[in-house]
Amino acid sequence: MFKKVGKRNIAKSNQSNRESKESITLHSNLTANLDRIKQDLPAEDVIIREFKIGTKKKTKAGIIYVSGLVDKQMIQDYILESLMIEPTNLKQIDNSDAVALLKDSLLTIGKIEDIFDFEDLYNELLSGNSIILLDGEPQGFSTSTRGWEDRGVTEPSTQNVIRGPKDSFTETLLTNITLIRRRIKDINLRLEMKKIGRRTKTDVAIMYINGVADEKVVKEVQKRLDRIDIDAVLESGYIEELIQDETYTPFPTIYNSERPDVIAGNLLEGRIAIIVDGTPFVLVVPALFIQFFQSSEDYYQRADLAFLVRLIRYLAFFLSLVTPSAYIAVTTFHQEMLQTQLLISLAEQREGVPFPAFLEALLMEITFEILREAGLRMPKAIGPAISIVGALVLGQAAVEAGIVSASMVIVVSLTAISSFVMPAYNLAITFRMLRFVLMGLAASFGLFGIILGLITMVLHLCSLRSFGVPYLTPFAPFEAKEQKDVIFRMPLWGMTSRPRSISKKNVKRQQPVSKAKPKPR
Amino acid sequence: MKRKFKLLILLFITLSLLSGCWSRKELDEMAIATALGIDKSGEDYLVTVQILNPGEIASQANTDRTEVTTYETTGKTIFEALRKLTTKSPRKIYFAHTRVIIFGEELAKDSIKKPLDLISRDHDFRTDFFILVAKDTEASNVLKVLTAINKIPANKIFSSLQTSENEWAPTKAVTIDELIVNFTNGRSSPVLTSIIIEGNSQAGNKNSNVHQIDALAKLKLTGLAGFKKDKLVGWLNQEESKGFNYITDNVESTVGYVPCEDEIIAVEVINSSTDVTGKVQKGAPKINIQVKSEANIGEVQCKKDVTKQEIIKELEEAFADKTKAIIENSIKKAKDDLESDIFGFGEAIYRANPQAWKEIKQDWEQYFIDLEIEIKVNFKIRSTGTIMESFQREKDE
Repeated sequence: MFKKVGKRNIAKSNQSNRESKESITLHSNLTANLDRIKQDLPAEDVIIREFKIGTKKKTKAGIIYVSGLVDKQMIQDYILESLMIEPTNLKQIDNSDAVALLKDSLLTIGKIEDIFDFEDLYNELLSGNSIILLDGEPQGFSTSTRGWEDRGVTEPSTQNVIRGPKDSFTETLLTNITLIRRRIKDINLRLEMKKIGRRTKTDVAIMYINGVADEKVVKEVQKRLDRIDIDAVLESGYIEELIQDETYTPFPTIYNSERPDVIAGNLLEGRIAIIVDGTPFVLVVPALFIQFFQSSEDYYQRADLAFLVRLIRYLAFFLSLVTPSAYIAVTTFHQEMLQTQLLISLAEQREGVPFPAFLEALLMEITFEILREAGLRMPKAIGPAISIVGALVLGQAAVEAGIVSASMVIVVSLTAISSFVMPAYNLAITFRMLRFVLMGLAASFGLFGIILGLITMVLHLCSLRSFGVPYLTPFAPFEAKEQKDVIFRMPLWGMTSRPRSISKKNVKRQQPVSKAKPKPR
Repeated sequence: MKRKFKLLILLFITLSLLSGCWSRKELDEMAIATALGIDKSGEDYLVTVQILNPGEIASQANTDRTEVTTYETTGKTIFEALRKLTTKSPRKIYFAHTRVIIFGEELAKDSIKKPLDLISRDHDFRTDFFILVAKDTEASNVLKVLTAINKIPANKIFSSLQTSENEWAPTKAVTIDELIVNFTNGRSSPVLTSIIIEGNSQAGNKNSNVHQIDALAKLKLTGLAGFKKDKLVGWLNQEESKGFNYITDNVESTVGYVPCEDEIIAVEVINSSTDVTGKVQKGAPKINIQVKSEANIGEVQCKKDVTKQEIIKELEEAFADKTKAIIENSIKKAKDDLESDIFGFGEAIYRANPQAWKEIKQDWEQYFIDLEIEIKVNFKIRSTGTIMESFQREKDE
């Protein structure tokens, strides 16, 4: 119900907008065209410059651009200068086909496109291109003069590594594409561009390696992207939510990363990247559950080390999910499972705590979540303040006041630290949510409830798919050949094939003799 | 989607009906029992429970209250008595962490069968506690002695039994499963380790007992209590208990000695294994006991040169004879005094010849007393410790 209403509203609001501009072709009179632009775009940052070209200064021309979106130096050097100052060729303008001349020999700029109607004109103008209009011609040019302030390539802020490349994507689409291209110098690396969002007209790029990626999945991605009809796309999250297979799930079925090496690696495995202008987070489909446990560093460090680190990650995943609920279950239902000495120690700490263990855990977990959220949102300058308050409130004071037991503080801290081990932030949030569900189950049914909750979770995971690929691959369905890169990572010479579950084409990655076999001297 | 949701809600409703174990209890709502003592009081049972005071044991800020406290009641059945305890105890008593169960001597002489029924039937009890018999006193008194070092007396008994079984042979840690099997299978009789209060038993009750280096009252394990089926019939002394453990292959490590030139040489047995095999010859059961022991020289008080091969040989023979004597002594005690097959020879016969066992089963008691037993001991001395010759020798020369 709600969804439908929302759709209709958007459609309605877009209608009036579209009608006004649709299919209005350019006038052959320059003044009429410019007047129309002034009327449609009454903004201070739209610069309209009229000038005359040709030796006799007979032909009127106009250049329109949005200051801030263009590289002014470029306009100065390659458009205005070549049209207004260099006189040698301009004689011909007066008597021959001005359009062809301008395009073929005068405009010393990379990319030029013909424009015939106002819709294209505005699209190009607002994307940062400069428009050149000539009097007497019912067409214009769009010249590629994009250039705006951007952040520059910096170190990634969310997915850090010890060893590995330190660059990350930026908010500029072209920069992002470049970062990937620099890593895969293959003619089969395909790039398709789309504009999504009626008002924002956000550039969205699909990247994949032709012959490696599954065509069906590529088509599916294109289909899903084409289906999107929304007024604005401000971040890749919009796209993610609109194209994911299943909405009603806490688990992310689309992977995202701000690391070019991760995206390149995924492309090479046959996945498809969706890059959205305006955000450093690039989407990757299809995504598997295990992918969220992998970090690019796993492949840069030695295989045995990567195995160990992955083990720790799986352990941390489990801890962050069940530690508080297991504590609640064991201390309120299954005291006989504890070692006597431990039971006595826990019992001593519980003496005088006014809340039941469940409430105590809930209280602490919520306090921690608040602290965490506060730490994220508040100004950086007062960062230390929150850690002091956190340490005192969560730790010492609460225990000393007898409101919570010391063991509960340990449990909550362990959970908190474990949840930060996840390389993928979005999956960590999922577990954070599920943790509360499990705590409730543990408080009402003990370990029985936890197991039931976990079984439900696994069943749900089994039902998920990401662009046609079962989410739990290669566990369920079990793929023996793909175990080489799940819990342990084979040394690189052992990973001879791409994951078949992602794409069955061109699975061979290397000749089996990549391994060095030095002979003893 | 809607159907899925309905199904999910239905599932959760059934889930709440399913949970048969609605037994949530917070840690601060229960009294953790560490020891249970059962005595006879006329026709009734006298049940004593040792309850922990967690604040006193684990907390940083100790008061001068005692670490444990005891509650006792009487009842026609143990179960009734345990439930009656709630009138005295502020919280529900929780038995899963019981470390020891102690039977009073008087009760043990009567029968331990009935009390064991509740303990093995009740779901609260686990099966990892040890069972002992209080000697010359009541179980309730044993539970009222405070111990040094180990703040929980029950834990002291538990760990002391464990270590002494491993390091010093004459005790045996018996769990409830073992005990019940031993008196119900008809082929053996159980033994339990006995515990006594050394010193003034009244003084053990107070904190002051552990406020001095040499506690006024101490709990001490002494040898074994021999049962005939479920009845206590006699006490084995230290030597006899050791013999018992040799026969039942329960010696991990112990200390043995033989005389040498008016003095003594002691060895540490580091490894000992026993094979008991039975056979029935012409209707007469026979038992063959083979002991293999390995030892290190532990203490030399005489002037013998233990670096010499002949001396070692000599010692090995002496120790083999000594061990054999110990075993014989133990068997004699069981045959003459207890008239009870505590070693499980019946089991050995049964395993060797189940057919023949059927015939002698009825008169096993008599057969046991007349049983022919052959004992072979193979004793090896492996090393002489960190010094070779004793410096007793050098002093004189």
